[in-house]
Amino acid sequence: MALERPIRTDPLPITQGDAQPARPPRGLSSWKNWIGLVPFFAFAIFFLFLPSFSIVYRSFESPQHTFTFDNIIAIFTERNLVNAYKASLTVSLITAAGGALFGFLLAYAVILGGLPRSLRTFMTTFSGVASNFAGVPLAFAFIATIGNAGLITRWLESAMGFDIHQTGFTIYNIWGLSIVYMYFQFPLMVLIMAPALDGLRREWREACENLGGTAFHYWRFIALPVLLPSLLGTAILLFGNAFGAYATAYAFSGSFINLVTILIGAQIQGDVLYNPGLGNALALGMVMIMGFCMAGYAWLQQRTARWIR
Amino acid sequence: MAFLDLLRLSKSFGQADAVVNFNLEIERGEFVSFLGPSGCGKTTTLRMVGGFEMPSEGEIRLDQKVITNKPPNQRKVGMVFQAYALFPNMTVADNVGFGLKVNKRPTEEIRERVREMLSLIQMPDLGDRFPYQLSGGQQQRVALARALAIRPQVLLLDEPLSALDAKIRVELRYEIRRIQQQLGITTIYVTHDQEEALSLSDRVVVMNAGRVEQIGTPFEIYNFPNTSFVASFVGILNQLRCRVIDAASARLSLDGQEFTADSPLKATATEIVIMLRPEEMHLGLREGENQLSGTVESVAFLGAVVRIHVRLGASVITLDVLNERNLDLPRVGVSVTVSFPPHACWVMAEN
Amino acid sequence: MRRRASVWAWVILVLGLLYFFIPLIATFEFSLRAIKGRYTFEAYRLAFMDPAFVRNFGYSLMWCVLTIIVSLALVVPAAYWVHLRLPRLRPVVEFVTLMPFVVPAVVLTFGLIRLYGSPPIVLIGSPVLLIAGYVVLSLPYMYRSVDTGLRAIDVRTLTEAALSLGAGWGTILLRVIFPNLRVALLSGIFLTFAIVMGEFTFASLLSWPAFGPYMEEIGAMRAYTPQALALVSFALTWGSIGIIQWLGRGAPGQGQIAGAR
Repeated sequence: MALERPIRTDPLPITQGDAQPARPPRGLSSWKNWIGLVPFFAFAIFFLFLPSFSIVYRSFESPQHTFTFDNIIAIFTERNLVNAYKASLTVSLITAAGGALFGFLLAYAVILGGLPRSLRTFMTTFSGVASNFAGVPLAFAFIATIGNAGLITRWLESAMGFDIHQTGFTIYNIWGLSIVYMYFQFPLMVLIMAPALDGLRREWREACENLGGTAFHYWRFIALPVLLPSLLGTAILLFGNAFGAYATAYAFSGSFINLVTILIGAQIQGDVLYNPGLGNALALGMVMIMGFCMAGYAWLQQRTARWIR
Repeated sequence: MAFLDLLRLSKSFGQADAVVNFNLEIERGEFVSFLGPSGCGKTTTLRMVGGFEMPSEGEIRLDQKVITNKPPNQRKVGMVFQAYALFPNMTVADNVGFGLKVNKRPTEEIRERVREMLSLIQMPDLGDRFPYQLSGGQQQRVALARALAIRPQVLLLDEPLSALDAKIRVELRYEIRRIQQQLGITTIYVTHDQEEALSLSDRVVVMNAGRVEQIGTPFEIYNFPNTSFVASFVGILNQLRCRVIDAASARLSLDGQEFTADSPLKATATEIVIMLRPEEMHLGLREGENQLSGTVESVAFLGAVVRIHVRLGASVITLDVLNERNLDLPRVGVSVTVSFPPHACWVMAEN
Repeated sequence: MRRRASVWAWVILVLGLLYFFIPLIATFEFSLRAIKGRYTFEAYRLAFMDPAFVRNFGYSLMWCVLTIIVSLALVVPAAYWVHLRLPRLRPVVEFVTLMPFVVPAVVLTFGLIRLYGSPPIVLIGSPVLLIAGYVVLSLPYMYRSVDTGLRAIDVRTLTEAALSLGAGWGTILLRVIFPNLRVALLSGIFLTFAIVMGEFTFASLLSWPAFGPYMEEIGAMRAYTPQALALVSFALTWGSIGIIQWLGRGAPGQGQIAGAR
């Protein structure tokens, strides 16, 4: 890109933000082009990539600082760790599937369901708030709702004589946690699917009807296939989102719920036997799972972009 | 009772009247255009025929049967949208065959019909492409094939060429007409481009602000407009304010220069507005024609036509001359004589 | 064809609203029960009177400001340069802004502590790691805000116009780019504010005072005050997002998505 300016014969040295008299001739190799990006990339390298790589590298490190596969093996063999992964994966799957399903229905309702426009704006704003409400305050809110002395618990008891805790229900396990996680999974789905639903052009529906199709034909042959990459991609995002959550679970019960994130947190706080390699391996497992999720999400997003232009 | 009857059609959106008292009888196989500026109600009327808007009042009859309130998927009308509306997740062949698939036709029949349609639009080898791999013109042809595949009784086109390049537009417009005549299908074509409307249609309906201004053949609309809106919307129009010298012999004066009109004028008129088309005037003297003198103000070379603005006293008229290779373009500031036959000018019916 | 609202749409909406609002109502109701027998704002009074509350809230505010400054300093030049001169690097930059989703807070904390907990570079004693973590957390949203803003104002053309009129780079950045980016920048800032104020993971694991760990402590010790604090936190978030929506009225919507979990 050539932006012309009068060229001085003695270009001044460059400092950020200065008026720059001489433009570099066309050529991206000129180092002046990179100035603005140096701080950004430097930060990313030091505080994002290096720590991540060190995790990978040190996963293979034993407490005696020798190379070993023991840590990786432990993930698949040690009962505690296997359970943690099972629990994390279960919660993530449940909340991804549930969040995707109901979140999609919610998005559909406010965007295409014929409801007043103001409801859509409200839902979008609220979704932005709700998805940020995660963490400690969310845990407290649900304790007040379905905890031992929660509003719903008391209401069910007084209005229906039904004590849910008698049945062994508690929010302090993965099922209860799933209910809580939905609070930020639904909104995330709504926020991401809203633009995708907007992308469904009205004319496709009309063309379908014009050719003799019903609503069923429209959804079966056109709308759902077009939306599928977005739906799946977002579901994967939801999965990763739940898998990496820490604060909410911790606020519930400290280290008593056995999740991978909680385990890693425990390692950091030195609660468990000091085995740095193990923590690394756990972290590595997480990063790999999350990596697959993001890759899957990105690939599916690509496919959508190809169709909806 | 014609093939497609639109009777007293009206549509209001709340307080706003989009279409008011639209009446039209269309014969089988006829190509009718709805022509008008944006917001004149032409698309709304079309969508009422297609079933995408419910009329506030009025009736639509197709082949003697009332279809006013039938849902779109039961009407057997084919619609081509301005934005093509091809289903992005299906190939060209699947798009074209969609209407038949939805009607549960056997696979073999669908395949044969698709093949037939693709060769009709002259794209026999592109059945496996996806819409995003096609150009705008190609997409629109596929949209046309898709609408025709179900053998509709009426074909509706909503500004189908607006989104395309000028050159493609001209090519495709004649394609559409050729196909329409080949199939003999009754067609309604909505456009704001008068060239399209005039060159393609059997009849043109000119609309303005929700109402019908005039219905007629392209020749009638252009040469015998009923209102000044139609006269000025279709083609370029000179409107000259003249003083009446003698009503009976239709003698008029334009800033001192006298000329004669064709038919006698109203006896009481003292001042009148005369309409004149640019192509009916010539530069230079012509025997037996009216002659006015003026100065050339500007000359615009448009290719096939040279558009000249000539100042006659207080008015400026536009005059079109056909291009010739040995044409001597008049220069700005030169004095010229403009001549035209008496029958070329007319007085608007409403004046 | 205007579709009449289907029954199902209403049913789903009502179900959704119930799910979202009942916990909020429950929290509010719970927070009023500090004194047995009647509803009172005692829990709130205790919360605000607690000197630890003010101290921790203050710390969080400070982390906020620092995070916002660093974040802006990193993101704005980067986004601007990518738009203007190095559009080919865009995928790389966007990949970097997606990384924070791949590396969740716990994992990043783990990596940071392992890497910078011992020589050659020791950063554990200072809040550098905390701020770094917060910046990483806010990076995707800050970048997306600025990027959207730059796209909306067509930076390239504005810059070329300014250059052709004789402006220098300083003038361009200050008088042409920044004023037009105001809304985008403010959006990014308020979003970062909402995220940092409620954040728990980094502060807790790196042992720094902040509002998040404070809330958790209260949760372990007291009964009704935590709910009061939860509502305060919710109000803060609602306020921030509300301001962002109000700022962005008319501009194409930018989805603000999840914060600390």
